Amino acid sequence: MDFLVSHFAEILFYILAALAVLGSVGVITLKNPVNAALSLLGTFFIVAVLFVLQHAEFLAAVQVMVYAGGIMVLFLFVIMLVSVKGLKTQAAFLSPLVPVAIIGAILVGALITSAVLLGVFATGDGGPEALQMVDGAVLGNTEAVGMVLYTKYLVPFEVVSVVLLVAMIGAIVFGRKDRFIEEQEGEVGS
Amino acid sequence: MPLEQFVPFIPEIFLAIASFVLLVGGIGLGRRGMRPLALGAVGSLVVTGILVWLFGRPAGEPEVILGGMLAIDTFAVFFKLLVLASAILTIMLATGFLERFRYGGGEFFALILTATLGMFVMASGVNLVSLYVGLELMALSSYVLVGYCKLEVKSNEGAVKYFVLGAMSSGILLYGISLVYGSLGTLDLMEIKTALVAAPQDNLVLMLGIVLMAFGMLFKVAAVPFHVWSPDAYEGAPTPVTAFISVAPKAAAFAMFLRIFAGAFSPEIDHWRSVIWLAAAMTMIFGNIAALSQDNVKRMLAYSSIAHAGYALMGVVAGTAYGTWSVLMYMLVYTFMNIGAFGLVVLLETRGYAGETVKDWAGLSKKAPAAAAGMLILLLALAGIPPTGGFMSKLYVFAAAINAGYIWLAVIGVLMSAVSLYYYFRIVVQMYLVEGEEAESGAELVRDRWAEGVVLVSVLVVMAIGVYPAPFVGWAQGGLNALGLM
Amino acid sequence: MFESHLLSLITLAPAVAAIGLGLIPGRYERLVRWLAFGISLGIFFTSLLMWMVFDPSMGGMQMVEKADWIPQFGIEFHLGVDGISLLLVLLTTLLVPVVIAASWTSVRDKVKAFHICLLLLTTGMVGAFLALDVFLFYVFWEFILIPMYFIIGVWGGARRIYAAVKFFIFTMAGSVLMLVAILYTARVHFETTGIWSFDYFVWLETASQIPMGGVWSPQMLVFIAFALAFAIKVPMFPFHTWLPDAHVEAPTGGSIILAGVLLKLGTYGFLRFNRALFPEAWEKAVPVIMVLAVIGIVYGAFVALVQPDIKKLVAYSSVSHLGFVMLGLAAGTISSTQGAILQMVNHGLATGALFLLIGILYERRGTLLIADYGGIATVVPVLTGFFLLVTLASIGLPGLNGFVGEFLILAGSWPVAPAAVVGAGLGVVLGAVTMLWMVQRVFWNPLSHEENRGLRDMNFREVATVLPLVLFIVWIGVFPMTFLAPMEAAVRLLLE
Repeated sequence: MDFLVSHFAEILFYILAALAVLGSVGVITLKNPVNAALSLLGTFFIVAVLFVLQHAEFLAAVQVMVYAGGIMVLFLFVIMLVSVKGLKTQAAFLSPLVPVAIIGAILVGALITSAVLLGVFATGDGGPEALQMVDGAVLGNTEAVGMVLYTKYLVPFEVVSVVLLVAMIGAIVFGRKDRFIEEQEGEVGS
Repeated sequence: MPLEQFVPFIPEIFLAIASFVLLVGGIGLGRRGMRPLALGAVGSLVVTGILVWLFGRPAGEPEVILGGMLAIDTFAVFFKLLVLASAILTIMLATGFLERFRYGGGEFFALILTATLGMFVMASGVNLVSLYVGLELMALSSYVLVGYCKLEVKSNEGAVKYFVLGAMSSGILLYGISLVYGSLGTLDLMEIKTALVAAPQDNLVLMLGIVLMAFGMLFKVAAVPFHVWSPDAYEGAPTPVTAFISVAPKAAAFAMFLRIFAGAFSPEIDHWRSVIWLAAAMTMIFGNIAALSQDNVKRMLAYSSIAHAGYALMGVVAGTAYGTWSVLMYMLVYTFMNIGAFGLVVLLETRGYAGETVKDWAGLSKKAPAAAAGMLILLLALAGIPPTGGFMSKLYVFAAAINAGYIWLAVIGVLMSAVSLYYYFRIVVQMYLVEGEEAESGAELVRDRWAEGVVLVSVLVVMAIGVYPAPFVGWAQGGLNALGLM
Repeated sequence: MFESHLLSLITLAPAVAAIGLGLIPGRYERLVRWLAFGISLGIFFTSLLMWMVFDPSMGGMQMVEKADWIPQFGIEFHLGVDGISLLLVLLTTLLVPVVIAASWTSVRDKVKAFHICLLLLTTGMVGAFLALDVFLFYVFWEFILIPMYFIIGVWGGARRIYAAVKFFIFTMAGSVLMLVAILYTARVHFETTGIWSFDYFVWLETASQIPMGGVWSPQMLVFIAFALAFAIKVPMFPFHTWLPDAHVEAPTGGSIILAGVLLKLGTYGFLRFNRALFPEAWEKAVPVIMVLAVIGIVYGAFVALVQPDIKKLVAYSSVSHLGFVMLGLAAGTISSTQGAILQMVNHGLATGALFLLIGILYERRGTLLIADYGGIATVVPVLTGFFLLVTLASIGLPGLNGFVGEFLILAGSWPVAPAAVVGAGLGVVLGAVTMLWMVQRVFWNPLSHEENRGLRDMNFREVATVLPLVLFIVWIGVFPMTFLAPMEAAVRLLLE
């Protein structure tokens, strides 16, 4: 019992981690897209809990709001709008899975090996306590993240904003009808 | 953070703003707006270059700015200017191409600029986070560019393969970064190096992290066996984009490669060297052998680009100062010779998209002697024959490898250059040696002054480096004055 | 001032002229021909001037020029001439105007490009003979391949593409390993002294410091890498297969240059680099080289005997003749080495002239098969006379140049390797039989083909083209000392 109490956090972590893995396996194996999406939703929530366990409350909140809230709703919308019945469950998707599975197995194996061999990782400036410190004063995780993001990691933060812009441009470029082509067709027609 | 720290960052800020302006400015502009827009893009790149020269250069010793994310050193300046040059040449190649294939230009130019921005960050980043986001910005922009000709099935296929495998390689890289962070507790390259020098490690987690990062980087430079995405992406992409992604991201990836491996991980060189050695040897052998059987010139040049990454990797394997600047030198020459060669492919693209076979080059020496001579020089450079720059650049990587004791690697390298002659000269045979009906069957050249200018510039640079390499070597060696590298 | 830059003038002027020629519109064919001819003649006279300035009593390099090229690597633009390279440069600059004259009517297509190639080739050949920086030598050496590839590939015969690619890949594959060897030697020098240098004189010291031992020791491997590049070029026995193809398909001018100069680059390389830089390794390799040389002599002569094609026959006899040169070099006595160098020049003159005359025949008749000729001595007496004279020179008739060279080689090799000399003597006889039998079948025998009756004899231009070669053939045969004297000091210095 003592063991359970003193190691409560670790035990919880392993249970949640196993659930997260299970959830993500569900995403790629469940045949019904709605079920798969719900499985993904569950995974997102578990990851959010994992963040809480690491004292990263801000990330946990963001995780729930952005992924579980925003992105999942969009996913479900798309699934609802597109006729699910018309989609065939494709066996072809499975064949490239074999090499991917091998790579995945290697990576997982590597992580487990390293975890077993090393036990704990070193902690640097990102340990749980540091996540609450602002100029030496304990404030809260959100302030701490905000401080770091707008001072030390300002450049990556700004660059990421451009990355998002590019992603948007990409979506628009691929999504819209091409103006030049229409112009040309119009010329041919007239 | 004091505001002066942003002064060296002015070129990047300008580049970002310029890409937004181009994006907005491109709206509603029809075909007639293409050239002004392209001029605007080229102009802003030139201004960026001037800004780099004015503000981005180190006053003396290299220094870090903006929270240790970026370094201001000659190494970064070298790669920034190189990337800018390839971006400018690409836009000049693309303008006529997009007009001919009836695609809009605004987003295209903006994406080239954002990719350039990403590569700027890759060239100067000294923190794994900034390096990674720079890489992602570059990669995401490239994925869109590859799929830009969205009505072409090949372009779609190339973009999807590039995207999926690129995302996977980024994942592997990120995983490696997380393992390194986990075992050393820092993302700062200088701190990593200091930690490794202070206490040489051979713990498995760190090794695994380093090896996975090496895999991720080898993906990005398209080294064997992580090259599978590149022939399809290169063949499918619009040819100016092929020219771009075959040089600029590769140069930036090598900059990042050197910063991380020749810099931060240099104390652990004995652990990662054999991985790179093997990759370099396999890349040279496989890239050249696979190119032998290609009939599509774009695909052949794609495999040749793979092989060239192998030659450049020799400099990384050497792990010495010579090795490092030989990579810089290699990238300098490679940028111009590859863009020039693809430029001629663009000029020859009169028979539709991505359909240029070796036979299309038949009899070019009669129809367009100047273009044929230009291609001849570029092919000689690619094959590494004096007196072209290609020979000089290969010489330095071979010398670096031999100097570091990797003689067998150099032997593989030279033998594979001899093999490469065969496929490069298949084009020469078509251009110059075939006669009669066969020669008549070749494709016609497109009239495109801008693309012709690109080819001319490339040929001149390649020849200048070949005939009098001393100043260029001086620049490359100057690029050694880098933070965390020596 | 003029003298101090004489060598770079001879080396670089053709390339500059080639670029200048490129600016002339291609339709002015006559202008291009005359200009190219004038330039090449000017270069020949300049090299004659070099001969006059040259001091034969000195063995070392003369008229040395030195300028930084890639200072970061200690690579210099470093030229110099000694008695050995002097003769070969003279041979080269003599053959170029001859080739231009010989191609006056036979090259009709892409005239401008042909002359540009030829002038670029001149720069490469002269540069390779004069270079005193090993790296510079390599650059010229590689550079030669490109114009030669085009000369064979564009103006050659029916299977020219195959022959050109084969020539290119063969020689390239051989020489890339030499690059590794060069860089390795430079590294050894860097490690011992801390400075980069590719200077030939510096390397005379350095090269012997490379660890030496068995066949797989570094120095031996470096030696082999050099030797392989040169052996393919010579070509020595098992590496000769590219030569007949290249000769048969090349145009007349290409064959003359190929036989006259390019093959000499290989033997010159053996002497200048393998012999001088790695004397220890050379000692070990001598038996192998001798055996291969004698095999080459006999094999070349035998294979030549059965060739139905005149050009191929001469090509195989070249393999045989170059075997003599290699034998002379391998024996390594003063007289055998002098004989070998002289034989290089002799072979260049005699075989060059033979290819020239064959080209004249081909231009008239359009075939190279021996069986298509016969009995034409009465139809074309002048051509027959020249052909016979050159053939006799080639097989070593006393009083002509071939005799002097072969005699010096055999006599000089006798004390060192009598068995090899006996084998080579057999080759002399065989070679003579082969060549004379060919001459008999082509020019004498009954005149069996009616179309041969109307063959035109040589015109004034053709006689003028071949005359300089014949002049030198006789000159060397009668007064060999003119040519042996300037090289003696250099050979002595090189061997000791």
